[in-house]
Amino acid sequence: MTLETSVNESIIGDFLNFNRNIAEIPSRISVPHEVKMDTCEYDVVYKEDRIRMLHYKPLTSKQIKTPLVISYAIVNRYHIFDIDSKKSWIRNLLESGIDVYMIDWGTPSKMDKFLGFDEYVNDYLDNCIENVCDRSGVNKVSLQGYCTGGTLAAVYSALHPEKVKNLIATAPIIDGWKDTTVISNIAKNFDVDKMVEVIGNMPPEFIYYCFSILKPFEQGIEKYLKFFQNLENEKYVNSFLKIEKWLAETPPIPGELFKQWIKGIYQENLLVQDKMFIGNQHVSLKNITMPVFTQVAVGDHLVSPECSMPLHYAVGSNDKNLEIYPTGHVGMIASSYSQKNILPTLTKWIKTRSD
Amino acid sequence: MERPLDNMFDYYKHTSMFWNDMISMMSSKPASLTAVGPLRNFTENIKKISQELIESNQEIVDFNTYLMEYYKQLGETWADSQKKVMSKISEIPQDTESTEAYKRIWIDMFENDFTQLFDTESFSKNYNKLVSTEMQLLKRWNTIMDIMLKSANMPTKEEIDEIYQELFNLKKRVKKLDSLKKRRDVESDS
Repeated sequence: MTLETSVNESIIGDFLNFNRNIAEIPSRISVPHEVKMDTCEYDVVYKEDRIRMLHYKPLTSKQIKTPLVISYAIVNRYHIFDIDSKKSWIRNLLESGIDVYMIDWGTPSKMDKFLGFDEYVNDYLDNCIENVCDRSGVNKVSLQGYCTGGTLAAVYSALHPEKVKNLIATAPIIDGWKDTTVISNIAKNFDVDKMVEVIGNMPPEFIYYCFSILKPFEQGIEKYLKFFQNLENEKYVNSFLKIEKWLAETPPIPGELFKQWIKGIYQENLLVQDKMFIGNQHVSLKNITMPVFTQVAVGDHLVSPECSMPLHYAVGSNDKNLEIYPTGHVGMIASSYSQKNILPTLTKWIKTRSD
Repeated sequence: MERPLDNMFDYYKHTSMFWNDMISMMSSKPASLTAVGPLRNFTENIKKISQELIESNQEIVDFNTYLMEYYKQLGETWADSQKKVMSKISEIPQDTESTEAYKRIWIDMFENDFTQLFDTESFSKNYNKLVSTEMQLLKRWNTIMDIMLKSANMPTKEEIDEIYQELFNLKKRVKKLDSLKKRRDVESDS
């Protein structure tokens, strides 16, 4: 008796094409770490320890006077805001006549393990904003914070409301107990004291682990299958490599800051309960009385909407706006969707509240 | 004097510690005679290193237990997902479009099941115990390295940490003084 199995010819064809692509890939595309990330030009206008402040060159002759300072997250690097000219958050703001500054938190060394919320908020962020005020001849700036940078921006606005004209919080981490992501599930039982005592700074490898448990099959397998299937598509390959390079450039997080973060936000949930103290100063979100724009994404698998939204209800501001978008954490700041649906509303909101 | 031993593990730990100390005491005189001057440190170090290694035994056992549980959780989830996928794809015909459908089902099923696993309290607790034990083992390794560094007249991790802390405090003080000076300069100018 003979067993007969038949396999569809097109499946064999696809399989052979796939293998051919893998064999030819090195000769076709550039080395990932050599890919250029930024698209907009900038000057480095301020440096302190490891941090840098970038000032983007204007793209319009007419500009609003109130500058916008972006406090990027402490995880990954700021490039995602300007990774592709057609999806660039920065370019869109510049084309709308907004004067944009970006804080690059840099790469902390072992020596920086004692840096905590106090240094990040009351020293670095404050010095950057002072510097922008001096350069622009203003007393207040618009401040946007993304992800963990959103928490820093909210805390700063609560402690230094006299320097913030408008606060834009994009996917900020505010209410750790309401966060429904797998990250918060890990963080709740995390022995952060021991980790900081033994290792010092939170190593990028651990952060990669946290990323890997978020959509492990879509992001860990499907994404790469798609890449090998799309090698002919130059635009796709270019965008893919930029995103991969951005993901791979995760700096360590200063030990003390990480400890305060995990304990204060995820485990004890101090900020939203009005119990947080930074450098002996009480952080009360009720002190945020300037206009506030909170942006959250329904499909955010890193910071769930339930975790960000409480900011809207906790601030003392009368002029506040909460927008919920049908996109994801990165999609909110670097996608065609954000260009069409998020940025027009935001730029209009900023312009009507700026000098 | 007899000491109550809870289990076999305690028995081996106690026995190892006993002989480690005994050998160290018994060999201290001959070792002092042969290892002259600073080389005396080496014999002292061996005792300390052995102690750390004996102490780490329980942690190695714990680490393996949590690691096994971690892989068990992943393995069981994988097997469950695969079963679900197999039951779904049996009806799908074999052609190019169906390959795509199979891939979609596979990824969706696995994504869903693994996310559910990562969301459970049991996963979080076991994973964090695993990391915590790993840290404890790393701490022991650091202590062993510190012993060796000390004998080689090199700064230990603890000493380096003290220097970092000192530098951090100094930097803070300098920054404060700097801003005070700037404020005074502005006041005197006006």
